[in-house]
Amino acid sequence: MSNNLRPMKIKSQSRNRRVSLGVTYTILIVLSIIWLVPLIWIVLSAFRCEYHADGTFIGRVTSNFFPKQFGLKNFTDLFTANYCGVPNAFPRWMLNTLIVAAADCVISTFLVLSVAYCMSKLKFKLRKPFMNVAMIIGLFPSFMSMIAIYFLLKSIGLSGNTENPALSLVGLIFAYSAGAGLGFQVAKGFFDVIPNALVESAKLDGCTNFKIFRKIILPLAKPIIIYQALMSFTGPWMDFIFARVIIGAKNPEYWTVSVGLYSLLFGSSFSDANLFTQFAAGCVIVAIPIVTLFMFLQKYYVEGVTAGAVKG
Amino acid sequence: MASKSKADPNKKPKGRGFFGSIGKFFSDFVKRFADGSIGTKLSHFIFGAGNFYHKQYVKGALFLLLQIAILAFMILCPTINGTPYGYKALANLTLKNVTEGGQFDPVSGKFAEFSSNCQLMVLFGFVTIAVIIIYFIIWNKNIESSYKADMDRKVGKKPSTIGEDVKTLFDQKFHITMLTPTCIAALVFTVLPTVFMIALAFTSYNDPDMNAAGTKLFGWNGIENFKSVFTGEGSLGVEIKNRFLPVLGWTFIWAIFATLTCYFGGIILALLINKKGLKGKKIFRTIFILTIAVPQFISLLAVRNLLGEYGPINSLLQNLGWIKEPIGFLGQNPGDSEVLAKIMVIIVNMWVGIPYTMLMTSGILMNIPTDLYEAARVDGASTTKMFFKITLPYVVFITTPYLISSFVGNLNSFNTIFLLTGGSPTYPGYAAGGTDLLVTWLYKVTIEQGAYNTGAVIGIFTFLITATITLVTYRRSKAYNEEDTFQ
Amino acid sequence: MKKLFAILLAVLMTATMFVGCGGSSGNEGETGEKDDGVIRIWVGEESADFYQKKCDEYTAAHPEFGYKIEVKGMDTGSVAGTITQDPTAAADIFTVAHDNIGKLAATQCAKPITDETLIAQVLADNPESFQKVIYSNTNGQTYLYGVPYISQALLLYYNKSMVTEEQAKSFEGLREAAQAAGTKAITVTGDDGFNMSFALLARKVSDHSTTVKIYEGADPAAGGSKGECNCQGDDTVAVYRWLQTYAADPNGFKWPSSDGWDADLDKNNLGALAVIGGAWHYNTAKAALGETNLGITLIPTFELTPESVEGLSSVSAGDVFRGGSFADCKCFMINAYSAGSKYAKEQELLMYLSGKEVQNASYLECMNVPAYVGAADFIKQCFEEGKVTESQYNLAATQVSMAEWGIPQPFVTGTLNTYYYSKNAPAVLRAIIDQTAYPTTGDILVQDTTSLEGVRKALYLVEYLWMHGVAPKEFPASLPDKA
Repeated sequence: MSNNLRPMKIKSQSRNRRVSLGVTYTILIVLSIIWLVPLIWIVLSAFRCEYHADGTFIGRVTSNFFPKQFGLKNFTDLFTANYCGVPNAFPRWMLNTLIVAAADCVISTFLVLSVAYCMSKLKFKLRKPFMNVAMIIGLFPSFMSMIAIYFLLKSIGLSGNTENPALSLVGLIFAYSAGAGLGFQVAKGFFDVIPNALVESAKLDGCTNFKIFRKIILPLAKPIIIYQALMSFTGPWMDFIFARVIIGAKNPEYWTVSVGLYSLLFGSSFSDANLFTQFAAGCVIVAIPIVTLFMFLQKYYVEGVTAGAVKG
Repeated sequence: MASKSKADPNKKPKGRGFFGSIGKFFSDFVKRFADGSIGTKLSHFIFGAGNFYHKQYVKGALFLLLQIAILAFMILCPTINGTPYGYKALANLTLKNVTEGGQFDPVSGKFAEFSSNCQLMVLFGFVTIAVIIIYFIIWNKNIESSYKADMDRKVGKKPSTIGEDVKTLFDQKFHITMLTPTCIAALVFTVLPTVFMIALAFTSYNDPDMNAAGTKLFGWNGIENFKSVFTGEGSLGVEIKNRFLPVLGWTFIWAIFATLTCYFGGIILALLINKKGLKGKKIFRTIFILTIAVPQFISLLAVRNLLGEYGPINSLLQNLGWIKEPIGFLGQNPGDSEVLAKIMVIIVNMWVGIPYTMLMTSGILMNIPTDLYEAARVDGASTTKMFFKITLPYVVFITTPYLISSFVGNLNSFNTIFLLTGGSPTYPGYAAGGTDLLVTWLYKVTIEQGAYNTGAVIGIFTFLITATITLVTYRRSKAYNEEDTFQ
Repeated sequence: MKKLFAILLAVLMTATMFVGCGGSSGNEGETGEKDDGVIRIWVGEESADFYQKKCDEYTAAHPEFGYKIEVKGMDTGSVAGTITQDPTAAADIFTVAHDNIGKLAATQCAKPITDETLIAQVLADNPESFQKVIYSNTNGQTYLYGVPYISQALLLYYNKSMVTEEQAKSFEGLREAAQAAGTKAITVTGDDGFNMSFALLARKVSDHSTTVKIYEGADPAAGGSKGECNCQGDDTVAVYRWLQTYAADPNGFKWPSSDGWDADLDKNNLGALAVIGGAWHYNTAKAALGETNLGITLIPTFELTPESVEGLSSVSAGDVFRGGSFADCKCFMINAYSAGSKYAKEQELLMYLSGKEVQNASYLECMNVPAYVGAADFIKQCFEEGKVTESQYNLAATQVSMAEWGIPQPFVTGTLNTYYYSKNAPAVLRAIIDQTAYPTTGDILVQDTTSLEGVRKALYLVEYLWMHGVAPKEFPASLPDKA
């Protein structure tokens, strides 16, 4: 290269580069702090253990960012307290959510994969109309159908069932996973990238479509399976609108964790609410497994998101 | 459906339009009835008769069973909670023959005649219609199946056995096996409820009004609810009339800003992180991805509390002496600035949304062919110039579909608004606050106020807007038009 | 065609879903609820455990009762809405504030009380003011619907370290303390109709008369006339004119902060020195201030200023008023959809649950202030015997005396009082205090509430909403339009 000829220029270039790198570092560090502050605050609040002079515990939001005293009281309270008249409410909510999330994960992933495969690799008459209809239905705001779903579930006893309120969890699983198949676009985008030649040659070897799906497509689809499973598993941990309507305010023992945590924060005008520190502790407990899962499967998530984005 | 494929400019020529298809459908019927065997002819009345005729007993029995089941459903009218299905449900769909709850009998502790349940009457009416449609589809299939066996016989082939039929379900007809669960689930839990809610827009189903009138019954209302957007009549008429345009306007402003800020913010962040020579890329990426991984209801509620009247941020600003009174960032107290609340939601949304775009564009940025940059560098282009001339166009070109879908997503961005401001600042007398989007307004009107008919009207408008935007842009997009070529 | 297989699956699934579950409830005439040997009860969250315990005691002592009882805690504020939305999914017995009785009866969510002994007990135990409001009307027949068991009224919580006992007696005193502390004097726990009654129902101290007359002369037991509702009196206008200046005062009234009214009370934030709330806010107030710092007293008095009576004839500056309150009772009600076979047993159970003994026990264990006549004596006795702390005693005693300054939330023939809420009358009142415009149904709009004329118009609107459930088409040419 021309290093020897123009050392001065190179030197200034590398200085420029160092300066610009330095600027980049500064910006990124400042941004990182901004991005982390709310999360750090939640974690700090979860460990906050402050008392009034007369020994009353302060559970609300306080103006100090850093707690004056730390402790585990919020966590012990969270696991032992009786919320909304339910003993050990929080562990129950966790369990409910886990059940719903696991079932939703299996059903949704299955539905999405089966539809996406059909749309991507099979040719049949109603393919395009099906895709159009799926897209149009997806454009209706989901709350619009929520009340109808509630009536429907209720008429078959899967919601608002006084004798067996636990069935509303089954209803919730239906509500979460039933429409999942219509959200096949990301997975279809992924399948589209799998070369058709692979499918064609298998067909020439006499493979049935079923066999192709099982033996060729599924093994290749691992990233998208994980992506879908991750998405549908984390969904129930985050949604609280559907859960609130379908399980109902009257069945706190069958709430999912987000409905429960929301009630800790907002409660109602007629009860002692705003247990912010316990809410924060609950958030930490919920966030840890989800964040871990997410970080662990990050690669697949990125792949899924990118596939969806680029293909539309 | 047929009309939709007609509008498709890329449709392969089929030689007949929508009406042609219908004509063909009917001429097929005549032909099948005329040409078919006696079995096929009988199939028009008794399902599976043709299959029995061709000794396809299992298949015939299935058809027959289906016919009996559906006819029984239609005639016997099973009831749930006193509301019938079947032909009675069709009659109920008029919402005419309803009984208001009758006289209370203190001795038995019962209401002599219990009130009709209009919600279920409408719902079951639609279920029944769906069943009737299914009946005719089966009817058609049963004739088709018998006719095909006729044809097979004619050319000397043996009609397919049930074993062969099942086999094709895993091969040529594999899509049927695969799509059936989704179709059923979507029909019951998505299509039906959506149709039901659309229908409610044409009723007087409105809890506050019905409570005030002391009734649980409602009826069809024509297009009154739509008119109230313009006239302000009706129970929530003033709300709709006065708040519709502001909410609609803000929904668009929000969607545009939320999309663009997150989009370009994400690209810039991705560029920063992927800068050559930068160490700790992975750490930075992980930090930003944290906001995606943490459930939104946690992170957004955390931000909401951070920004509260007595929250850490206000108290920090006060301690620094920059402000005297706490600032109502999110407009939670009436009188707080609506503009500030709107700006804050957009800013907080950047905090939520930028990492998504960053993640996505990172991969794309790394795939930009380096020779493009080399060439530009040789031409002496500056970094800024290269960004605007190469990087940006390339990324935008590839991610246009994402841009559209995230715009539509932002139009319906419920969580951000609901969790962050809950729509505040509020205005006395109105459900819709200053930062309410159409969807959060819809939620308030239906779930919180129980005005289902008004909610349905808002929902239909929301749908029309998102659908128009999506269809216009999506149909023009490369992804749609070249959908087939990708395969 | 092999779509057959798919369609078969579809129809069978749908059919089993819709038909299979429907077979059991064929008889259309009935409520369709089965009697499964369990009576389910919803009470306020704070006392669920207590009532479960009491019910268990009862079933243990009366093995012939024959039903298992399940008590569950519910948010009392929203329970009425939950029930009207879907009574079939509600408990057999539920508890609501009495002002919901009309709505629940009119929408046929509740069954009346028919047991003679229970009716006799209710009428013997409860003050006349409560007896007026527990009846409602079904198809022309008037029935008793609610069985009172808790009384509720607003009172004042204040910060003892900043406000002296003397200062807490008047709004002026509170403002003085607030000036010294550089903060606001007083806030409320919410801007709903119940909380806002402190101003609407203010009473003149000298003759104990309420400013607003609501349904006065109405006879709900006869199911007949609405009586008179008058919000236009000079005294009402003067009170709101006074509150406008008090709210505009830098050390006066403030609305609760977005972090909750308890955040305002907190000594670290010091947003306000006192709050008007109910007994059910006790624990939250205690948590915000600490028990030693928590003062409890009657809602303070205030003196009309010269500006507030300007242009008004029947009031004069210096007139002293005391903030009032809706004095509610919480009632047990029976769900209309509860199986008919449980009906007698449910009423038997209510005899017990609304009896004085259980009410007393619920005071001692859950701080629920009993509803029956003479509860004050019991409360005093408990304090003297050292069964409750001073602040707990204060709470109950203050509430009992506050009830003398309050009136029960009225409702006449079913749904009228719900208009006050559902048609946003409290929002109009708030608009007056904030001196902002108020949008309303119809074409009329209260453009400004700063002037005397504006306040009069807004109060006329409240009155009209209360009486008719809709906004008036236009305002009368001159206000007030009644003597």
